[in-house]
Amino acid sequence: MLLQLNNIFKWVKTGGQQTFLLKDINFNVEEGEFISIMGPSGSGKTTLLNVIGMLDGFNEGEYNFMDESVHDLKEKHRADLYKRYIGFVFQSYHLLDELTVQENLEMPLLYKKLKGSERKAMVADMLDRFNIVGKKDLFPTQLSGGQQQLVGIARALISNPKLILADEPTGNLNSSQGEEIMGIFKELNEEGVTIIQVTHSEKNAEYGTRTINLLDGRMV
Amino acid sequence: MLKNYLKIAWRSLRKRPLYACINILGLFAGIAFVLLIGAYVWQEYHVNRSLKNADNQYILTSKWTDQNMGPDFVSLGPPAAILKETYPHLVANYYRWDGIRSVVVKENTKLREGIQIGDPSLLDQFGFELLQGDASTVFNEPFSLVITEEKAIKYFGKVQVVGETVAIENFSGALQDFKITGVLADLNENSISYINDAYNGFFIAKNSSQFFDRADFDNWELPIFLSYVELQPSVTPKDLEQPLRNILNDHASEGTRNNLTIVPVKLTDYYLNKNSGLVKRMLYTLGFIGLFIIGMAIINFINIAVSFSSDRMREIGIRKVLGGKKKQLVFQFLAESIILVSIATFLAVGAYPFLGGLFEQVIGKEIIPLSAFPGYFIAIPFFIALTIGLVAGVYPAFILSALQPIQSLKGKLQISSKTIFVRKLLVGFQFTLALVVLIAAFLITKQIDFFFEKDLGYQKEYLVSAATPRDWTEDGVKKMITIRNEFETLPEVSNASLSYEIPNGNNGFQLQLYRSDASSESKVVSQGMMIDENYLDTYQIPLLAGAVFEKGVPNADAVLINEQAVKSLGFESPEMAIGKQLKNVNQEEPLTVVGVIGNIHFESLHTPIKPQVYVDVKAALYYRYFTFKLRPGNMQGQLAMIKSKWQELMPNAPFKFDFFDETLATLYTNELQLRKASYSASVLAFIIVLLGVFGLVSLSIQKRIKEIGVRKVLGASKRNISQLFVKEFAVVMVFAIVFAIPLSYYIITLWLQNYVYKITIGFSAFFWGILIVAGTSLMLIFIQTLKASNNKVIDNLKTE
Repeated sequence: MLLQLNNIFKWVKTGGQQTFLLKDINFNVEEGEFISIMGPSGSGKTTLLNVIGMLDGFNEGEYNFMDESVHDLKEKHRADLYKRYIGFVFQSYHLLDELTVQENLEMPLLYKKLKGSERKAMVADMLDRFNIVGKKDLFPTQLSGGQQQLVGIARALISNPKLILADEPTGNLNSSQGEEIMGIFKELNEEGVTIIQVTHSEKNAEYGTRTINLLDGRMV
Repeated sequence: MLKNYLKIAWRSLRKRPLYACINILGLFAGIAFVLLIGAYVWQEYHVNRSLKNADNQYILTSKWTDQNMGPDFVSLGPPAAILKETYPHLVANYYRWDGIRSVVVKENTKLREGIQIGDPSLLDQFGFELLQGDASTVFNEPFSLVITEEKAIKYFGKVQVVGETVAIENFSGALQDFKITGVLADLNENSISYINDAYNGFFIAKNSSQFFDRADFDNWELPIFLSYVELQPSVTPKDLEQPLRNILNDHASEGTRNNLTIVPVKLTDYYLNKNSGLVKRMLYTLGFIGLFIIGMAIINFINIAVSFSSDRMREIGIRKVLGGKKKQLVFQFLAESIILVSIATFLAVGAYPFLGGLFEQVIGKEIIPLSAFPGYFIAIPFFIALTIGLVAGVYPAFILSALQPIQSLKGKLQISSKTIFVRKLLVGFQFTLALVVLIAAFLITKQIDFFFEKDLGYQKEYLVSAATPRDWTEDGVKKMITIRNEFETLPEVSNASLSYEIPNGNNGFQLQLYRSDASSESKVVSQGMMIDENYLDTYQIPLLAGAVFEKGVPNADAVLINEQAVKSLGFESPEMAIGKQLKNVNQEEPLTVVGVIGNIHFESLHTPIKPQVYVDVKAALYYRYFTFKLRPGNMQGQLAMIKSKWQELMPNAPFKFDFFDETLATLYTNELQLRKASYSASVLAFIIVLLGVFGLVSLSIQKRIKEIGVRKVLGASKRNISQLFVKEFAVVMVFAIVFAIPLSYYIITLWLQNYVYKITIGFSAFFWGILIVAGTSLMLIFIQTLKASNNKVIDNLKTE
């Protein structure tokens, strides 16, 4: 089992009142699954994804990731954990505008303190795999949205994560670009990478093996 | 509408206390400093301005062909009087005085005081205000005395003292009662009763001068008098040029005539320009520092205001979407900055009395209280608040109000890279300044340490000097020598010496010497000193050849000379000088060199060691000081023993002693002040730099908040993030360092040119200055970015 969420609650206090963002969330994810989280705006999809990605905390409940109790871990260990096993893909790509495609891909490796030659090899491999060798010296602003997201996925994959978290990865793309990206996710999943995506679109959800529906922070 | 602006401005400041505090703090420091400097400048410009007919008052200064012939602030006595007599259409009045220090006795109070013996025209010419007594008759009777309010209170505890008497001692040790005929209101600083930091509170007219055997105003060979003239309206100093020349030509001796020019200097200029413009230079320096500091504070205000603007993006966007005009937004921001500056200004005015005390230590002078300023000065704080508020507020106001509504609604900060560059430039400039002042402060300290540590040619350790009572007669000297011998019997005292000079730069007379076998053309101007036979042992000055004066037998013709004199007079070696005869210009009897002694630094290290000639105090009959060499051990106990012996031997004389470090400190008052000033400026500049860095880093963090988030998601540690920013500022700092090193080197080299003996500018001052400034700034950046990267990642990414 890759991860397990037990009775997760998350709330914020506004003016003395508790507003629940997540209410009693329970589910397990096995390795190799492709899960879609769906629900209307404000239902807590992104919050749930952030909790799974350890970017955000929660107030109550247990979260186990690869036999580690995330709720008991210190910030630093948690960071180590997601650095090693999780890759993120964002709706608005979050590429750094000042860096070239190649440099954007290289950044996570820098933080893993890999040697220059190793980094080069891995970046070259990734550029080749996504067919963007010709674009390696361009800046993100010189690319189309689909190409930027491609770089975003490549960057997420470069450190060989077990789990990819994607927050509406096609939200800013047109339909043909979207299909291409979803195709890539499908392929990755078939190669054994576990994927959890947040999506609005039924069509995208169909790529997944399982769908979790949220409404007002609750699983339905 | 205005009320509305102010209300909103006030609320938005309260919403961001950190921002408001940083700004107020920086501006407060700047404005307080500028207020103090302003007050000081105003005060210094008013020295001598409150004198009656201030524009017509002149001091007669002396310009000698050789500076060693005499100081410039004193002159001959007769010319002023002759001017008034011969040229009444040019000169309306004159006043001359001779300063002495002697003991003033009132029952049990016995203190050494500065006393001014002068012409009776004192009150009439300068218009000093009398609290008690009649200005026209105060000096009519001999042994009349006018004292200041302060002295009246010191001696009598009250101001109504007309008719009371105090006794004053003369140089033969006799006491004479003086009747107080007038009490002066405390005097503002002026160049009549304050000269060269010596301040007189007792005024006697020349009809009492016989008692002191001084104030021989008619002597043409005695250029020791302060002398002032009041010109007739519309007479210029140029009109006096020829008359003064004529007077010298008609009366003075050839030596004086050829070497002296008397130059009248307007009193209102004299104070600022004396000592080659020392005061004026100090005022300019302080003025520039003040401008720099306030400039830096304004730069910071702008930097911080712009960097916190993203906080207000949404507010600006909404205001614009709802129809706010650009002009209205500009007004709103200006109102805010004026409020901030006003708070800072009024805090600064409120802190004036407290900070004034600190500032006094820096400038070594009292600073006038707020209440002493003219009433209309109350407008100044308002003026400052409004001006600085506008100057500081106008740029951020226009930048912020010019934001596009849609982008600002999205919260996207649109600041061009050009603006960033300008701000980095400003911060780099601040860094440079902070570095320069700090490095300068270190080097000044090093030079000052050098003053106190350099081998001065004598051993200052365990030396204590004390002023003796005066009886400048043969009997008087004999008595003092006996007393000296008494002191030497004390186990606490290893040596005691009686002399006129101690190495504090003030010597009694000049000689113009030449070898008897050479012509008087080869004369060497040398300093004359009067010492006893114990002097060398007490000060541990090496005797290079010959012998010291004989005990007991005074010999007026025997002199000791120093090594420098040997060289200047052209002897091949100290030994060669022994037994040789020297002649003093204007003196028949030749002098015989009996000994040669090592060079000592008699004056400050500004000046080279001059040729010196030492005569026997027993023959010269002038003396001022006892110097004691104590044995190592319990100083307090030893001094107590000396004191009790002193009181036993000289019951009428106050025992006031100075350690030699204190004596040396008086030689370097300006340097010690400069050190304090440079450290204060460093601290201020440093605080402001840190505020500036803080502002710039905040902006940079805000601009890159998304980047921080992305990098963290991709695995950057907190340290990685901090390094990102540190690197950015390291570049600015490196540039600042590159500019600061040559700049401070240049400035200090200029300053060191004032000294003949000086330190070599080493590496360590630069090293420490850079380490402190760069280290602290980097630390600040590090802490600040650490805080930013501590945020939850998701908060960083959410800003999109």
